[in-house]
Amino acid sequence: MNLYHSYATINQKLAQGVELHYGEEEASVLPRDPRPLRIPRIGVYAGTGTSHSWLWFAELFDRMSFHEILFMTEDMVRDGFLESLDVFAMSGGDTIRIAEWLGQEGGRAIESFIREGGLYIGSCAGAYLPLKSSKQHLDRFNFVDIKIANLSKTRPEAKRMGRKASTNYGCDFVYHPVREDVCLRTTGKEPFTGFEYFRAPLYGGPSMVTSRDSDVLAYYDGFTEKTLFLVEESLAEETLLGKVAAARTAMGDGHLYLFGPHFEHPLFPIANHLVAAAIFWDMKKGRKNWKSLDSESILEGPAKEKLVRDIKREISNSRIVAVGLEAIPVQWIIGCKTYEPEKIRVFLEAIWKRINTLERSRSVCAQSETCEEVVVTASRVTRLLRQMKSRMDDHSDTQDLAWDLFDSLRRLAMIFLQIYFDSFGRSLDS
Amino acid sequence: MRIDVDALKCIGCMACEMACGYHRDDAFALLASCIVVYRAREKKDYFGVVVKEEESLTIARPEGVEIKRIGVAEEAGDSGQKKEADASAKPMLLREPCDLCSDMKYGPMCVKICPVNAISLQDEGE
Amino acid sequence: MDYLSSNKILIVDLNTGETSEDALDDDLVSQKIGGVGITSSLYETYKDRDPVILGTGLLTGTLFPASALSVISAKSPRTGYLTHSPFTLKAGMELKYTGFDYVVILGRSENPVFLWLHDGVADILDAAELWGKDVWNTTDLLRKSMGDDLIQTLVIGPAGEEGSDLAQVCVNYWANGDCWGFGKVLGEKNLKAVALRGMGLLEISDAEDFVDQCFEIFEAIKGSALEGKRGVEDILIALGESDAREWLAPVVHRHSACYNTPYPTNTFIYLNEDPTTLTEPAEPEPGFMITDIGALLALKKSGLSAADAGHVLRACARRGVDPAAVAEIIGKTGQKDPKAIEQSLEGLQGTVAVPQGAKFSSWVPQNPIFGDFGLSGESSLRDWWVRRQAVAYLFGIHPIFANMSPELSEEVILEMVNKGTGLDLSQETLDQVIEDICS
Repeated sequence: MNLYHSYATINQKLAQGVELHYGEEEASVLPRDPRPLRIPRIGVYAGTGTSHSWLWFAELFDRMSFHEILFMTEDMVRDGFLESLDVFAMSGGDTIRIAEWLGQEGGRAIESFIREGGLYIGSCAGAYLPLKSSKQHLDRFNFVDIKIANLSKTRPEAKRMGRKASTNYGCDFVYHPVREDVCLRTTGKEPFTGFEYFRAPLYGGPSMVTSRDSDVLAYYDGFTEKTLFLVEESLAEETLLGKVAAARTAMGDGHLYLFGPHFEHPLFPIANHLVAAAIFWDMKKGRKNWKSLDSESILEGPAKEKLVRDIKREISNSRIVAVGLEAIPVQWIIGCKTYEPEKIRVFLEAIWKRINTLERSRSVCAQSETCEEVVVTASRVTRLLRQMKSRMDDHSDTQDLAWDLFDSLRRLAMIFLQIYFDSFGRSLDS
Repeated sequence: MRIDVDALKCIGCMACEMACGYHRDDAFALLASCIVVYRAREKKDYFGVVVKEEESLTIARPEGVEIKRIGVAEEAGDSGQKKEADASAKPMLLREPCDLCSDMKYGPMCVKICPVNAISLQDEGE
Repeated sequence: MDYLSSNKILIVDLNTGETSEDALDDDLVSQKIGGVGITSSLYETYKDRDPVILGTGLLTGTLFPASALSVISAKSPRTGYLTHSPFTLKAGMELKYTGFDYVVILGRSENPVFLWLHDGVADILDAAELWGKDVWNTTDLLRKSMGDDLIQTLVIGPAGEEGSDLAQVCVNYWANGDCWGFGKVLGEKNLKAVALRGMGLLEISDAEDFVDQCFEIFEAIKGSALEGKRGVEDILIALGESDAREWLAPVVHRHSACYNTPYPTNTFIYLNEDPTTLTEPAEPEPGFMITDIGALLALKKSGLSAADAGHVLRACARRGVDPAAVAEIIGKTGQKDPKAIEQSLEGLQGTVAVPQGAKFSSWVPQNPIFGDFGLSGESSLRDWWVRRQAVAYLFGIHPIFANMSPELSEEVILEMVNKGTGLDLSQETLDQVIEDICS
């Protein structure tokens, strides 16, 4: 069974106005339930402090034809954009920085979104964020009574990748016993049915101990040949095995799904399926369909071709520099995260691989200011990358450029993907 | 087994890189190859070959081969202090590591195609 | 064209600064094959607008041995008719991956510009800062400003800007096969350079068979007469210069090959650095890569040392002037002082012999090298050379290597092209196209 195809079929049928029910016919990939299915409207958080992993959510939603997607900044969260959404997905990054930039207002907006029936999906940093904490910035997100098992008063000795093996967490340390693939075991609770064992990659996400308020959906069950131990194996076993990897918690009328590993990572179809199942199962109930885009935002003919060509030009320019940077031994520290040159391409490739689709499509959906913004931001990325390469050739420092570059890349990917999903959604609707 | 490169024999023709690209993409393309001819110092005639493996990066320079461990702290030195991993902790991140062309009937295609036998297959220990 | 092709012909109008694209029609390929077959056809279509056409072969940039060649076709200021120049190194391959199989450059720009071809995008960009710069500085500036050291360039130097008939289009920093004064043609168009970079992908019709056979041909070549031979020195020896190795020895650094070419036809000599140095030299410009065997040979015959010849060749490349023409003209004066020769390059004039009706570059030695092609007699040799070059220029095969390797027979090439493209090109079509382009 191709899980991506199954969800794509559901979403395409729903877009065509076909009535589907959980567990029946085309929707047999989902557990049975008498409710009718509805297209979820999903916000993907890509604000300050996020790493590149929100792009994995974009990839998952693209493959499964979820097309009502809104990529969101901290400003959008604070400005009430969550109100029109069913689901809010928060992936990895620097948890404290994310919390700091969302601020008290952002915290309140997320809380009321969930309490009013919204679904919060958090993986890695997105899972740490709503856990109970007295730490500065995080104390605005005390939503869930779940304890972090990979927390220590002392910093455990790292076998490798010292910088990635642990981070400060107030006076304590959050340590990351392993990276890469781990084995997980489901508890069989809805909507995590159909698969008992599966794998997902762990890149610093939490190992959790839940209270009675939460349902355990999956436990850490073992390691794989790809698991990379950052601490002694015995400590890794003690910290992870038998601890909670995925939990579901109710809050008001809504729910939180918290995943330690990155269930949205594109190389893990079963984990991806569980994300999609969670979305359909616990998305906000009863929302009306959202307003369709106005006709002024539809570009066709030469205007559309020019826009796509202008984007392609700059992404190609950037990509050419980025590939050349691949072998240069440099890294930057942004917040508490380490960035290597290769990460530049992760953002660029997420755009590049979708340009052909826009080239082939008859129309593109974008407001005129968005068209301008995407091209200006893409040009800025090219300029920053060229400056960076030039400075590296001269053996000069590039840390200041890196801040600007990764921020611009994030914004560029956000704007582009918004255009892409809006255009894709429109073609499905028509 | 691992790929060994004698950079002094290498003539920089990139046949290995394209063969590896074919192995990855079933088409002719260079972006996914795990073996790359380093040719950015054209005016100096300084070129060599880089191979990305599962946990290491083999850099074959004319003056000798260096193997960098990916993301692994170096062994303790005289000071007893472990050094942080090399800055290129994830070199060529988006490229798959060398799999010795495990699904190809030819064996490693770069070894097969190299016109000057600069690339060979070696036991891990050698 | 679905296979071994980007399926695009780019039309660049320098008068208007606009570009447009045509699809590469299967029928055109079936009739004209590719390379100079199609550049000649495009030349006829656009000849009222003084076209310069860049073209790839069907095999260019593939795993087929020596698939390094692209071509420049234009009316030569030296002959007054359509001629073709090869360009190799990594630039021939790079053109193929820019997303364009052919590039037709029409008209003249009002101001100096350069053409930037990348990933299916063509940009005509201002070259005010490049104009007046020599070839080396131009390539350095292009790579620096666009942030990539692997950008390949077709560049003119001051000779091209000043309208010398001896001006050459160089590749990156080095001389290449332009013996037709195409440097002047680009200069007249105010086109300082064409910069190339692409990360495209070529689909193959019968991929497994194509690659299988490539490996077989490589195996056959490995065991052939060129085994163990390297660089320009062994080519010179094969051409009768038995002391070439000793002559070059004091300066030889390393030999290198053009893209996927099993023989390293290029030899790098160190002029201001110890040639035995293996580590990266501190000197940013330690020497020169010899790519023009004929020019080197002429300078040797004029009595220059290898180092002095290297200095002259480097000066020619920086200025963007055909080194073989320089060697021929200087040879007649008896001048042996490299500094004096270098000084004479500015405004150098002179007549260079061109064989009657020649269309292919004399950059490629006129004899078989290493390989035995079973030839006998002078007229047969000339005919063989022309046909061999035509085949190389049609399919995208390194034209010097084509004269080394009888393994790359017309039969083998046709079979491979048909496997790679899914077309059904016949020997009759090939004969007809060769006749057309040579007439």
